[in-house]
Amino acid sequence: MKPHPASRDVVIAAVALIVVLAIPLFHRSPAFEDFIIRLSAMALFATSLNLPVGNTGMVSFGHGMFYGLGAYAFALMMQMTDLSLPVAAVLAVSITTLASFCVGAICVRLSTDYFAFITLAFQMLFYSVVISWQSLTGGDQGLRGGIPRREIFGFELSSQLHLYQFCSVVAVLGLLALRHVSTSPLGQTLRMIRDNEDRASFLGVVLWRARLLAFTIAGAFAGLGGVLAALFVSGAYPELADWPNSGQAIFAVMLGGINSFLGPALGAAILLALNDAVTRFTEYYGLVLGIVILAFAVGFRRGVLDFLRLAWPRSSK
Amino acid sequence: MDLDALGACLTTPACVVTQATSGLIVGMLLFLVAAGVTLIFGVLKIVNFAHGTFYMLGGYVAYSALGATDSYALAVLSATLAMALFGVVFERALMSRVYGSNVLMQLLVCYAVVLIFDDVVKIVWGPEFHAMGMPPAFQVPPLFIAGGVVPPFYAVLIVIAALIAIVLGLGLSMTRLGKTVRAAAINSQMVSALGINTTLLFAIVFAVGGGLAGLAGALAAPVRSLSPGMGFSILIESFIVTVIGGMGSIGGALVSALLIGMVRAFGTIGFPQFTDGLIYIVMIAILLLRPQGLFGRSP
Amino acid sequence: MSGLITRRTMLAGGTASLLAAPWVARAQAKTLHIGMQSILSGPIALLGTSSRNALMMEQDRINAAGGFLGRPIEFVFRDSKGQPQEAARLTRELVNTTGCELLIDAEASSGSFAVQEVVRDLGVACIHSNSETSSLTADPKIRVPTAFRVARQGVHDAVAGSIYLSEYANTKKLNKWATCSPDYAYGRDTTAQYLQFFKQFKPDIEITTEAWPKLGQPDFTEVITKLIQAKPQALFTLLYAGDLSAFVNQGNIYALFGQMAVATPNVDYPVLAAIKNLPPGIQSATRYLETFPNTPANKEWGEAYFKRWNERPTNWSWQNTVAMQFYESAIKKANSLDGKAIAAALTGMKINTPFGVDGTITMRDDHTTINYAIGWGQTTPKEPFIIDVKAADWGKIIELETDWKKQQKYI
Repeated sequence: MKPHPASRDVVIAAVALIVVLAIPLFHRSPAFEDFIIRLSAMALFATSLNLPVGNTGMVSFGHGMFYGLGAYAFALMMQMTDLSLPVAAVLAVSITTLASFCVGAICVRLSTDYFAFITLAFQMLFYSVVISWQSLTGGDQGLRGGIPRREIFGFELSSQLHLYQFCSVVAVLGLLALRHVSTSPLGQTLRMIRDNEDRASFLGVVLWRARLLAFTIAGAFAGLGGVLAALFVSGAYPELADWPNSGQAIFAVMLGGINSFLGPALGAAILLALNDAVTRFTEYYGLVLGIVILAFAVGFRRGVLDFLRLAWPRSSK
Repeated sequence: MDLDALGACLTTPACVVTQATSGLIVGMLLFLVAAGVTLIFGVLKIVNFAHGTFYMLGGYVAYSALGATDSYALAVLSATLAMALFGVVFERALMSRVYGSNVLMQLLVCYAVVLIFDDVVKIVWGPEFHAMGMPPAFQVPPLFIAGGVVPPFYAVLIVIAALIAIVLGLGLSMTRLGKTVRAAAINSQMVSALGINTTLLFAIVFAVGGGLAGLAGALAAPVRSLSPGMGFSILIESFIVTVIGGMGSIGGALVSALLIGMVRAFGTIGFPQFTDGLIYIVMIAILLLRPQGLFGRSP
Repeated sequence: MSGLITRRTMLAGGTASLLAAPWVARAQAKTLHIGMQSILSGPIALLGTSSRNALMMEQDRINAAGGFLGRPIEFVFRDSKGQPQEAARLTRELVNTTGCELLIDAEASSGSFAVQEVVRDLGVACIHSNSETSSLTADPKIRVPTAFRVARQGVHDAVAGSIYLSEYANTKKLNKWATCSPDYAYGRDTTAQYLQFFKQFKPDIEITTEAWPKLGQPDFTEVITKLIQAKPQALFTLLYAGDLSAFVNQGNIYALFGQMAVATPNVDYPVLAAIKNLPPGIQSATRYLETFPNTPANKEWGEAYFKRWNERPTNWSWQNTVAMQFYESAIKKANSLDGKAIAAALTGMKINTPFGVDGTITMRDDHTTINYAIGWGQTTPKEPFIIDVKAADWGKIIELETDWKKQQKYI
């Protein structure tokens, strides 16, 4: 993979953002706007997971923990303090960053399978703390009473349009930052570790340090996704931090393409659209989703973008 | 937290005996389910995330078979055989296609199977929960052994679980098939190069793993509720057992299942609202101090 | 190459149509769509399916009577899978995309709180038909102008149950009690509420031990032996559905039910149908019972339900039926589907219904129903399954509920 001019990424991001922001000027569709709001949270979540998984080869089963932590930290700060929204969001992401640094510091030395299990164990521990610590988190009923969505820079986030604009901007900036990480020297180092860790080690790379950095950054951006999710549901729920939610992110990564930067975001869009479309027609959503997953895993054997790039090499970026 | 109650229990012989007995029962049932996961991982290096589904289907098959034949023994037998067959089909049709792929691909295939069969169960048996009820032969008062209470049904379950532990343990170490399986666990390419049909071997391993899960589901059906999605909590539990005991070690699974049984039995007295958290902390500690588990071979 | 391109185009096309599907605006038909969301899959799918069954019967009944404001009604059912964020999304989709003008929120507690926040933004009329958590409507910070609850409320059940159980405990001289409830918000809060009122009526009660099994825990062995150890005279449990059934089956083989009296508010028809050897003499509330209130109308409804669905109704079935009965009366009175107009009509409304303790149920000013049937009796293995049912005293319930609300600083 040849180094990537950062300026091109910025241009693509700016164009994408302008298009997304322009759509409501021509046609207001609440369902489309909801979709983009949810997608922005989910895309950050899935793309951040791909930094350890696709880029570094560290399979984390517990990524939902940071998504949930971001949501809870943000929602609790908004409910319990008078902090302004951006300050609460930045603090929530900082808390998540610290948490993922701590969990990462404990876990990154373990080899692939054990790393997956221990991240899962941490997530389950976090989940059982959320459930048990009822006085703070509301337990299984979640944080109730809504998040006061204080105005920021003239943005009134209880208005759907403003929330849509806010989430789109945050998501595009977040993805751009992740793109920057993945094309930076750190990203290259991570891929080298993935492909051949002995060689990376001989070249003087301190493996655990690079891995810890990747894991921490991923946790931070998952936390940012969690903040957006909390804004959408106006609360925080233990399901955000539960195992099936980590599973969603993993599916998104696998469905969209593990080796393409935009793969996870595309996978997230497919999963959300599939969910929205299928639940309209049948209550047997699991049956349909299961068959789709099998088709990808056993049939195509790779995600959509990876498949396209393989099928039509010129389109590869 | 209720450390006083825990202290009081630990100084009362009757309490220690009763809770230890119930820890033993919980542990043996856990072992029954987890044995299949650890066996499959040991040989194929595959984490069978669909194991809970095997267990669930085993329970439902037994439920229907009991309705049809009125014999609990036949119900258990048919659940075991049906799930052994299911295991082979699952292995041949799906899992064999993702051998050698990364663990995420295997996770995806298993999870797809979980999703599909949760819905299939809902279509076939309905969304409401079912209870099989205790077979008439076991509707007798509990036994009192050394101050501890042991229901006869659980006594039978413990004996069956112990027999399975012995048969698996001895089978793996003494028989030719067992030796081949162990060799395949270490180096399946070498075993294949020696002219042994590893395809057949892998199918057999999945048949045994599936059969064990079906057996566990059928044996648990009289005392547990059947509902779509019931496999999930079982999966998590057997997963924890397998990780703590050491992936692939039958003896390790037995020890760690009993360990968790004891944590649950005494945790419910000392930390009634944080027993689960306690188990995850044990799991994290084990993974950090001894990632290969209590009895696993170091990688 | 062309084959590959075709496949690529096909994939892209498929994705595009999937993406487009959710927000293709639907033409406003004459039919009045009513959104209903619940849990229709997983271990507690019965919540959604038995609610849906009742609503289908109401749909037929209402349409036969000419619909709402002359428009035929049609339900749009959605499965939240029990996930609050999905519940929130569905509410918005039902209103914004599918064009539903009324909502029935048949979610369990956590989902209903998520729906509540969305309804606050949308301003559409919504009836929560299954959430029993008191704070949903009791807490003025959480209450929403256009959202109402037509369901049991936890605190009502707690008062009624405590009054009955304290009398029972006095008669039988049961002072040492144990509790065993699922370890999550419903279990903890409701147990605390029951105990608070229980102690108020019977100050000499002693709680010897508390057990907190996990929700959906497959194995209760260590909990059962712990309870037996503590040697209480009676056990109070809030386990329900599959968990209650498993607990009874596992308790049976330890002869638990011979060693202590047992009380639970949660024995209902599905539990009765699933448990083959239900011990007699368990003190239980009536969630739904054809013989309580013992009126022809109630029995007729129960039989009609069984005839149509070949299973007995649940507590959720009657609650959803009453929700539609309230909509029917309120829309007639308001002559409008506007959220505010319906809310104004619903507030303080009293309707005739088979499920009221005296043939009526009232929607109180704080958006929750009162005077529905609450009774306690004891189980028997055969029809009618619960006998000697005593109706609760609603005067007392409301008096103590008011004290409780003051204590919570809700009023």
